[in-house]
Amino acid sequence: MRGARKGALVGTVAVAALSALALTGCSSGGSSGGSGSSGSTSGGAKTSIAVEDYYTQPTTGIMDKVYQACAAEENVKVTSSHVPGAGFIPKVLQQASSKTLPDVLMLDNPNVKQIAQTGALSPLSDYGISAKGFAPAIAQAGSYDGKVYALAPAINTIDLIYNTTMFQEAGITTPPTTWAELQTDAQKLTKKGVYGFAFSADNDGEGTWQFLPFMWSNGGTETDITTAPTVQALQFLTGMIQKGTVSKSVVNWGQSDVLNQFLAGKAAMMINGPWEFPQLSAQKKIVWKQSPIPTRTASQTLQSPLGGETFTVPNTGDKTKMAAAGKLVKCILSPANQAKIAASEGDVPGQISVATSFAQSHPLYAAIATSVKTARARTAKLGAKWPATQTAINVAEQTAFSGKASPKAALQQANSQKEQ
Amino acid sequence: MKRTRHTSWPSTVLAIIFLAIMIFPIYWMVNASFQSNSAAQSSTIFPIHPTLSGYRVALSQQGGNLVTSLIISLGTVVLSLAIATPAAYALAKFRIKGTNVIMLALLITQMIPGIVIANSLYTAFNNLHLLNNYFGLILADASNCIPFSVILISAFMRSIPDSLVEAARVDGAGDLRAFRSVVLPVSRNSVITAGLFSFLFTWSDFLFALTLTSTTAVRPVTLGIYNYLSANVQQWAPVMATAVLASIPAMVLLLAAQKYIAAGALGGAIK
Amino acid sequence: MSTTSVDHPATRGAAAAAVPGEPRRRPSWLTREGPRWLFLAPAIAYMVLFFGYPVVKNVTMSLQHYTASTFFTGQAPWVGFQNYVTVVKSSLFTTTIVNTALFTLGSIVGQFVLGMLLALFFRRRFPLSNLLRGLLLMPWLLPLIASSAVWKWILDQDSGVLNQLLGVFHLSAVPWLVSPHIALLSIVLVNVWLGIPFNVTILYSGLQEIPTELYEAAELDGAGGWNMFWHITWPSLKSVVTVVLVLGVVYTLKVLDIILGLTGGGPANSTQTLTTNSYQTSFTLFHFGQGAAISNILILVSLVFALIYLRFAARSNTE
Repeated sequence: MRGARKGALVGTVAVAALSALALTGCSSGGSSGGSGSSGSTSGGAKTSIAVEDYYTQPTTGIMDKVYQACAAEENVKVTSSHVPGAGFIPKVLQQASSKTLPDVLMLDNPNVKQIAQTGALSPLSDYGISAKGFAPAIAQAGSYDGKVYALAPAINTIDLIYNTTMFQEAGITTPPTTWAELQTDAQKLTKKGVYGFAFSADNDGEGTWQFLPFMWSNGGTETDITTAPTVQALQFLTGMIQKGTVSKSVVNWGQSDVLNQFLAGKAAMMINGPWEFPQLSAQKKIVWKQSPIPTRTASQTLQSPLGGETFTVPNTGDKTKMAAAGKLVKCILSPANQAKIAASEGDVPGQISVATSFAQSHPLYAAIATSVKTARARTAKLGAKWPATQTAINVAEQTAFSGKASPKAALQQANSQKEQ
Repeated sequence: MKRTRHTSWPSTVLAIIFLAIMIFPIYWMVNASFQSNSAAQSSTIFPIHPTLSGYRVALSQQGGNLVTSLIISLGTVVLSLAIATPAAYALAKFRIKGTNVIMLALLITQMIPGIVIANSLYTAFNNLHLLNNYFGLILADASNCIPFSVILISAFMRSIPDSLVEAARVDGAGDLRAFRSVVLPVSRNSVITAGLFSFLFTWSDFLFALTLTSTTAVRPVTLGIYNYLSANVQQWAPVMATAVLASIPAMVLLLAAQKYIAAGALGGAIK
Repeated sequence: MSTTSVDHPATRGAAAAAVPGEPRRRPSWLTREGPRWLFLAPAIAYMVLFFGYPVVKNVTMSLQHYTASTFFTGQAPWVGFQNYVTVVKSSLFTTTIVNTALFTLGSIVGQFVLGMLLALFFRRRFPLSNLLRGLLLMPWLLPLIASSAVWKWILDQDSGVLNQLLGVFHLSAVPWLVSPHIALLSIVLVNVWLGIPFNVTILYSGLQEIPTELYEAAELDGAGGWNMFWHITWPSLKSVVTVVLVLGVVYTLKVLDIILGLTGGGPANSTQTLTTNSYQTSFTLFHFGQGAAISNILILVSLVFALIYLRFAARSNTE
């Protein structure tokens, strides 16, 4: 037993090394060079294009079909890689620094300006793609320095979703349209085990995203978060929490958690988006309807934020591939594919005309299809400086909601912290 | 036998109570894996309507990933121990000048945030064509485990009496023979413990798995589990089912290894 | 292979009598010390290859104005210590330092004390002890994404199991992850849960090294439990305890995923530590230079503990 130990150790190392090498041979067949450089053309062979996105199931199924269909149309070979959202941006940055960016890169719309600023993307006009007919907010989010770098085939925004059964029981006949109505309705709906209203205020960007409709519609602006309209909006929501019509746990809830609260019958109204409609439609327990998010007064116009992923063509330096990639993106943005992608993700198509006809065949999405026409891009005014403000708004929200400071003080604190 | 003079069953009961508290989250995970809508608000403390849908999805899609994780973890253990054990002995017993500097350097490597290492490794591995294969991941994960193993094993080895090694020398053994036939058997506990943690570090590694792979060719289970979590829709039942399935083979291995951490490995040798 | 090293009685005696560190008379790399370096060489090569460049890169990054553009263009103008100044002067810095200190202290004390108690407990032989000891390692087997989701559900203020349990005893629900005052305590508790397996296993291994004869002899002399612990167990465990503590501190300072998973650093930065702040500064705000500066400050803090450890290890080496 004693002398055999080292021998056994050496033996196992050898076996492990050999098997690792053998497996290396097996597994690195197709793709050992990172996602940007797999295969190349040689007189007559198809160009090989790499697409990268952060989709997961079941969306990956549909997206891969779209990519492959477009590949067949454009006569190129497409390999797609799906990087989980948690590590997507670090991955993109790593690829940028090692010059192995994919040929087609999906980017969430608020990230576009940041990445475009680095010079890593090429203008879509190079490939004959224009923003004509797309919802204005998409072009807002997808352009930098006057050029359009990204467009989204499917987009969304948020609205108010309410439990019709609970409304009937509380004697409420129409959904709230103003903040005052939202307040009173929530109070009527709140009882033991049920909160009248639920929304997301957590750290992940979702909190700020859900606060924006209240902030913007009231006249607040992201360029200065300490102005009175923003304070008023924050004061309104803080008041609802203090009155007990909204749970204090919202600071820890993402939009998924809010949906779960609603589906468990623990919240009568919630703010959420159309990507939840498939789940909402699949269950029978809760009967629900949508309504636009209330504004402070009836005369204010609702301004809600734009959501949705865009497609871009990175500057890989390989002109042939970039041209093929451009064609692929053009195909992904075609009206037929817009409808396909929207239907699978629970979004609406990016082009207004396509969205209108989509709404006719998918009546559940009609309200959203209208709201996205006037949606607003988060990065429209601040561009690459948006993330700092997003964090500041969220910190202010959480500070005010947990009672650590008044809404006015919270916003000022968060704003001064951001300046540094 | 003097140890067991207290009746042993009360000890078992006490241990079970404490373990129940420790393991409760795992119970909840198993519970959630059998429910279809497994978020807190709608799941019950016991699966009243158990469903195997989570497991069906997990088994069909993550089976390969589990094998991948196993291969990488085991490979890392072997590589790490092969490199770390002699180094630990050298640092503990050879009285080399600069032992302290080396120990400090080893500790510093443990302080570096993983993302910093991952970023540099990506570029290097990309150039060396080590992305998307087992060997690359084993190398990367071993870089995490080797310093830890050296630190741990050398701490244990420091308490091996010099007389033990000298006795082997008297019998004519050189450094390597002394290491192999005297030091290693006596260090069994620490080597196994280091191996255990190397396995666990690698098994639960997400960062290197994410950074050093870009295709599904080699996809450890920690990465595969993200397949069910998107920005908008989060399917927790398959996530929990995968987590539970993933822990079974690992637990079997760990229980087997634990048996070898026995008492008195050193005490017996002195005699 | 091993028998070729020179093993005359003469050299052996000289080697055994040599004071550690005293220069030898003939070139040391030719004789015993030669093959000895081979024991150490692979590990050192590994460290230099895998950690050398990242460490240097992290330091240089902290001295540059490093943004997302740098990843693509490679250009990063030198700004000297500007990043460090910005970081230290920010009002968030004091918060993160305090949170990090409390988080680390709470985690280490909790993990170590509970780990030690459990390790001592498991020394007794009772039915199923092996199995139960193995089950203690379960928290490490589960992907962190799954564990943090489960803990988030358990600690949910309204529908979480923990508050429901408190309700059974007529205690009011605790806002575990929702109140800025309690959130830090909650993540300490979860981190202790995560850290117990590490402490128990290593301390248990260390306890197994102590010869049983010592305890038997002490029992014959009539020593009680506490005396045996203080005079036999504790001194023999010293080097293992120091390793567990210093590694525990180094790893706790680096904890990132569990905090991000449970609270994301909130609510209102009440669980923001140096590590989470470094990560968010780099990957959310894209101020990579500042993020690197924060992580270097963290490494300096870790270094202080490491130096204390080495002092201790060096002293116990000569005992």
